[in-house]
Amino acid sequence: MADFDRREFLKLAGGTVGASLVAGCSSGGGGGDTTKVGTVYGTGGLGDGSFNDQAKQGLERAKKELDITYEESQPENNSEFATDQQQYAQDGSFDLVNCVGYAQKDALATNAADFPDQRWALVDETVDQDNVASYRFREEAGSYLVGELAGLLTQREFSAGSGATNPDATTVGFVGGIETPLIKKFEAGFTAGVNDVSEDIDVLSSYVGSFNDPSAGQSQARSMFNSGADIIYHASAATGDGVFRAAQDIGRFAIGVDRDQSVTKSDFADVVLASMVKRVDTAVYNAINAVANGNFAGGETTRLGLEDDGVAAVYGDQLGAEIPQSVKDAVSKSRTELIAGDIDVPTEP
Amino acid sequence: MSQDTPRWRRAIARLVDASVKERLVISVAALVLAVAVGFVIVTLAGLAASCTTHPTIFGVRTPSCYDPFAVYSELFLGAIGHPEQVLFGTGTWTPLDFRVASLLRSTTLLVFTGLAVAVSFRAGMFNIGVQGQLLLGALAAALATVYAAPLVPGGVVGTLVLVPVGIVAGALAGGVWGAIPGALKAYADANEVITTIMLNFVAANLAYVAVSTWFTPADSSLVQTATIPAAARIPNVPFGFQPRDNFSLLGLLFAVALVVGVAYLLARTSFGYDLRTSGSQPEAAAYGGVKEKRTMVTSMGISGALGGISGAMLVLMVQGRWLSNLPQLGFDGITVSILAGNNPLGVGFAALLFGVLKSGSAAIGFGTNVPPALVDVLRGLIILFVAMPEFFRLLGGRLGVGGDVDA
Repeated sequence: MADFDRREFLKLAGGTVGASLVAGCSSGGGGGDTTKVGTVYGTGGLGDGSFNDQAKQGLERAKKELDITYEESQPENNSEFATDQQQYAQDGSFDLVNCVGYAQKDALATNAADFPDQRWALVDETVDQDNVASYRFREEAGSYLVGELAGLLTQREFSAGSGATNPDATTVGFVGGIETPLIKKFEAGFTAGVNDVSEDIDVLSSYVGSFNDPSAGQSQARSMFNSGADIIYHASAATGDGVFRAAQDIGRFAIGVDRDQSVTKSDFADVVLASMVKRVDTAVYNAINAVANGNFAGGETTRLGLEDDGVAAVYGDQLGAEIPQSVKDAVSKSRTELIAGDIDVPTEP
Repeated sequence: MSQDTPRWRRAIARLVDASVKERLVISVAALVLAVAVGFVIVTLAGLAASCTTHPTIFGVRTPSCYDPFAVYSELFLGAIGHPEQVLFGTGTWTPLDFRVASLLRSTTLLVFTGLAVAVSFRAGMFNIGVQGQLLLGALAAALATVYAAPLVPGGVVGTLVLVPVGIVAGALAGGVWGAIPGALKAYADANEVITTIMLNFVAANLAYVAVSTWFTPADSSLVQTATIPAAARIPNVPFGFQPRDNFSLLGLLFAVALVVGVAYLLARTSFGYDLRTSGSQPEAAAYGGVKEKRTMVTSMGISGALGGISGAMLVLMVQGRWLSNLPQLGFDGITVSILAGNNPLGVGFAALLFGVLKSGSAAIGFGTNVPPALVDVLRGLIILFVAMPEFFRLLGGRLGVGGDVDA
């Protein structure tokens, strides 16, 4: 429960890394078979402040803790995925090739069939073949927690940073990018979290139709705020910038996604209450760790949830400290219950 | 040219009057110079970078993190999959290596966009809108084949129908989109540079909205059309690269055929003559009875159609569907055309150089620790150095410098 707090969370993560470093050193005698890892990033490339940078973190962690070397490539557009994946397979010396992002699914499905002896890992999608280990996230679980947070706060009079809740209405909102099964999982979890606080809270929901249209995100969010929403959770990539901007304009709150957006979008730190983070680094690390230890999960889809740091809700860098402790305690309790399986979260709204 | 003309004018005049052989020598010299400058840049960047292992060059451990020899060996030899391995007995290589496929794939696609820009240039217009024409051509080809597929049988017959349908649909969409700025220039005196740039954005957003609203399959998490039927793919004959390489020699042959076709159109037909004279001497052309407005619209239409065909080929040969982020082949086409001095035959070679650089940069990324941004710099250097003399030739030709104006 302590790791729900951002700072605590980081400390804890740092501790784990440190501890396993020591462990790595002491057991370092078994070297000799270095694991060689290839990585194909998504099209945003390194420096995107999101998925790809996180994947790189996972690689770096694996390099520190395990006996690995890695190569990486950054395709410029979707039509380059196939070639970039293939160059590793063709080389034949790679123990694992990581493919970061769901957009690589189609290319990998072909390559995995063409290179049956190459082991692959895919992050954020599933390719159902024996030589592919797929890693996905329980977005609904993390979304449930931020839903609960939003539900608890909208019932109160709460002000922090540049935002304040509207005491006259108990309404929250969800803005999605494109209405796909994946994004619906975010919505379903969020709605469930809100409803478990109280069935009387209204959840407004809408899909912008694009992951890259901040101005549309802004106008959607604006109309939601104007209809009384206090807090909007977005799962819409760059479109979400507009949601943050609307929150700032009107003086309400927003909840970020994928990364701690109060840090990556620090201009909006005064309205970002929390973020539902997807730990791509954990997925990449786990995939490498499995291969290094000889238990590659080929043909399986591993769903990373709250318990294994696959997803987490982290409080905003600036606003986190002002959220009442009673609210945080309630959210931590739900986290424990979710992990224990006491709460069932739907994956479809 | 008298002695009192300024030096730059004399220098450009010499470039303009250079023979084909001289121009070839200049290009090769520029390439060598670009590599030399690149060597220095790689070494210096390597000094600034931090790394754990430093490369050893000729037995000497360098203080720089990057090995320029390795970089350029990857750029030129890695681009075709290191055939020298066979000589040294360190590996195997066939001409069907996937790097060769990747090289020829880029080349094929760039021939079309390069030709598109060249045609507009020769007609005295600057079509910067090839990317937009490509986008819409690709979309038209994807939709036409997807929706025509149920109406035709599969197999060889299906291919014989669907591939031409896709290409024609692409050419039509690109052609119409290209003709718009042509018409705007001819009848409303709107500068085609501005309108083509603007229409790129219009095309991109139009296609995006259309696909995300109507054509994205329900289970897809990307904005994309459905996959085109297998029969609509350009068949992988006469002999096979791997199907996963997404390259077909037929595609390359089609590109070569278009190069010859466009060269013939420009040099040997009366329409080509009209087009060229309106480009080089518009007043003379008008005086000579060329219907300049119609020529403008037609040549921009042809240029756009070539851009649309490149989009169709991208879908039919490479991607198998329309995707929301297509490669920027339309903009590369501008450079390809300038490299080629806007000569259709030259476009083939310029596209090949681009293909080598493209495939080589991927090889550098795979085989060395040099960051992709630096690879882009090296690629840019080569293009800049090789293109500059041609660019000044064009400029000089426009300014009327030099003896025979035949730019």
